[in-house]
Amino acid sequence: MVRRLVNRNSVAITGAIIGLFSLPFGWLTLKSSRLAAGTGLNLWEAVGWEGATVLLVLWHACLILSLSGKSRRRSIILGIAANSILVITFLFAGLAANHLIEQAAPFARVSLSAGIWITLAATYILIFASRQRLQDSRAWRNLISWGGLVIVITLLFTGWFNDLSIVQEFTGREARFQQELLQHIFLFGGSVTAGTLIGIPLGIWAVRSKRAEKPIFFIANITQTIPSLALFGLLIAPLSALSFAFPLLREIGIRGVGPTPAIIALVIYSLLPIVRNTFVSLRQLDPAVIDAGLGMGMNRRQVFRRLEVPLAAPLILEGVRIASVQSVGLTALAALIGAGGLGWFVFQGLGQAAPDLIILGAIPIIVLALVVDAVMRTLVRLATPKGLAGGEP
Amino acid sequence: MIRLEHVTKVYGETVAVNDLSIEIEKGEVCILIGPSGCGKTTTLRVTNRLLEPTSGHIFIDGRDICQIRPERLRRSIGYAIQSVGLFPHLTVAANIATVPELLHWGKDDIARRVEELLILVGLNPVEYAWKYPSQLSGGEAQRIGVARALAADPPILLMDEPFGAVDPLTRERLQAQFIRIQQELKKTVIMVTHDLDEAIRLADRIAIMELGRLVQYDTPETILSRPANKFVHDFVGTDRALKRLSRIGIGNFIRPCPSVKTSDSIKEVAAAIGSRRSVWVVNDEGRPIGWIDQSRLSESVTARETIFSGDIHEIALTNQATLREALSRMLGQGFKSIPVVDDKARLIGEITLHDVEAATADGEA
Repeated sequence: MVRRLVNRNSVAITGAIIGLFSLPFGWLTLKSSRLAAGTGLNLWEAVGWEGATVLLVLWHACLILSLSGKSRRRSIILGIAANSILVITFLFAGLAANHLIEQAAPFARVSLSAGIWITLAATYILIFASRQRLQDSRAWRNLISWGGLVIVITLLFTGWFNDLSIVQEFTGREARFQQELLQHIFLFGGSVTAGTLIGIPLGIWAVRSKRAEKPIFFIANITQTIPSLALFGLLIAPLSALSFAFPLLREIGIRGVGPTPAIIALVIYSLLPIVRNTFVSLRQLDPAVIDAGLGMGMNRRQVFRRLEVPLAAPLILEGVRIASVQSVGLTALAALIGAGGLGWFVFQGLGQAAPDLIILGAIPIIVLALVVDAVMRTLVRLATPKGLAGGEP
Repeated sequence: MIRLEHVTKVYGETVAVNDLSIEIEKGEVCILIGPSGCGKTTTLRVTNRLLEPTSGHIFIDGRDICQIRPERLRRSIGYAIQSVGLFPHLTVAANIATVPELLHWGKDDIARRVEELLILVGLNPVEYAWKYPSQLSGGEAQRIGVARALAADPPILLMDEPFGAVDPLTRERLQAQFIRIQQELKKTVIMVTHDLDEAIRLADRIAIMELGRLVQYDTPETILSRPANKFVHDFVGTDRALKRLSRIGIGNFIRPCPSVKTSDSIKEVAAAIGSRRSVWVVNDEGRPIGWIDQSRLSESVTARETIFSGDIHEIALTNQATLREALSRMLGQGFKSIPVVDDKARLIGEITLHDVEAATADGEA
């Protein structure tokens, strides 16, 4: 009995149940204009009973699969099924939107409703549960993690979703979107780079000097506890005072609002994970390794370059990865103080009560965070020396 | 070769090494031993300037080492430590190549040297060169550590409990290997240990330290037979007579002894025994296969019927054994003499309990 319970894939079961729950929710919303109140359409109204049956069957299949155990083969089938649901859901949504728009008034909008967002969440719970079991094969893991998303994005570029309001929001603001996306990448990329350049030396300093260790971690920890919104706001006053006092600063772009306070705040937030990981990576080195290096005639620089750097690099890069992913999300707040970035759409959408605009900002932020995470994980893997790799294939 | 003159090392309030003077001859193994905290490791580490002495001087080949750049000095001195400290991100080959690389040797020279050293420490180069330290057993890692210390063929070797972190059986093997390598290479070695048996087995001279001071510096034989003071006396323990036996090879104590063949008649056996209590029986190749007691002679007519054939491999010693092993065999088997065989397991003589006792008595005198 206990064995059977343990053997069940509880994460996948949760995902499948959430997926089944998504079916009765509203699937699409039809509005007569962008800001008008809409009428909800449920699954069978939107895609007909044939489409509804397909999804119903697929979700039941997922539930049965996840109840029956978590073998490797089941996990692969489960992952493929989840990706299929994802693709089919969006295929249907695009198709239905096209159909509805043709029959409706000229300014009508069709937007995605709760049912589809819940489906999206449920499929990714399943995908997560499935890839947990596929640690041994990177090919399967990547296929299941990214396959569905790549197909949906391809569909987006072929114009399949052109009648969905979120795409219409995008086509109306394509130039702005590109600009804010670049600004977002510039803000988080720049601040993580700066955070790395400051954080690594600080971490090294903390390891080398007992006196420096305490204050460095005190400050790094404290800053992490300041609410992010507050930190953005707090920086406005001193920076505007500075730029007011020194017009030169204003000319090079240092003002109370805009990118400067945003970058400063983001750098401060990225410091803790980087400093901490640098510190730990050097502290956990086997002292015998360093002693042997020195004893055999390496000088300090050679010990650093030949022993400390290669042995500490994986953990330090892991800190940079955490800082990067965290920064992608935090950068959304930068829009509040006029720094731009994808957060701009989110706050515009909030202001106008236009959910599609919020989503136009939120989804790219999530995708960006996932991409950054994947890239950094690859970097960490490449930086891990073969002799240390241990379990990782 | 290596001379420490009035070396003192002070840490804050504690004096780790106190006015230590010692001289180590070229090609000798000097073992520093003493209770923990006696300053033996500190002494080792000032010799390659991992620590700077508070006062005093150290000379290598007559040259004061404080005039040699630390890195250069250390590259000319092999260094092996208890925790081995192999570089986990590098292969065995790259680990061994560390000092040659620091000295900018050519690629081919390094590869050849790595192979040579792996063979020297008894590991197959094809199998081991590309392994990572995490794939080695404790004993293998220790051997790679020694190979790495020997890489650039330094005339001096510093070893800090190099066989400390392994099981007793492996330690025994590593020690035997060390003796073989040292006979071949004749390095000047300073080794730290807390294992007196190891020191007695490996050292040409033992330096006993207490609270940072050198208490006695002498050959193991002298230390065991004439401890300088009560501290040394207690340190070497009450079984020091037994320990001393492990320094003495049986070579000088082998006596020729009579032997008989299985085909010999009782008459011949009786003649061979003479006034002895028993006689060793050998086969046609001259290898001992058992023995005949005098008391059994009257009961039989041929030698074959009277042979006791115990496990002769358990009893016989090779001529490289020590008196301690001889004594241990005698006590174990309840014999008053033990046969000695050569490399081909042929009987060459015997060792008697009487001779062992005499050797012990000589030492005490």
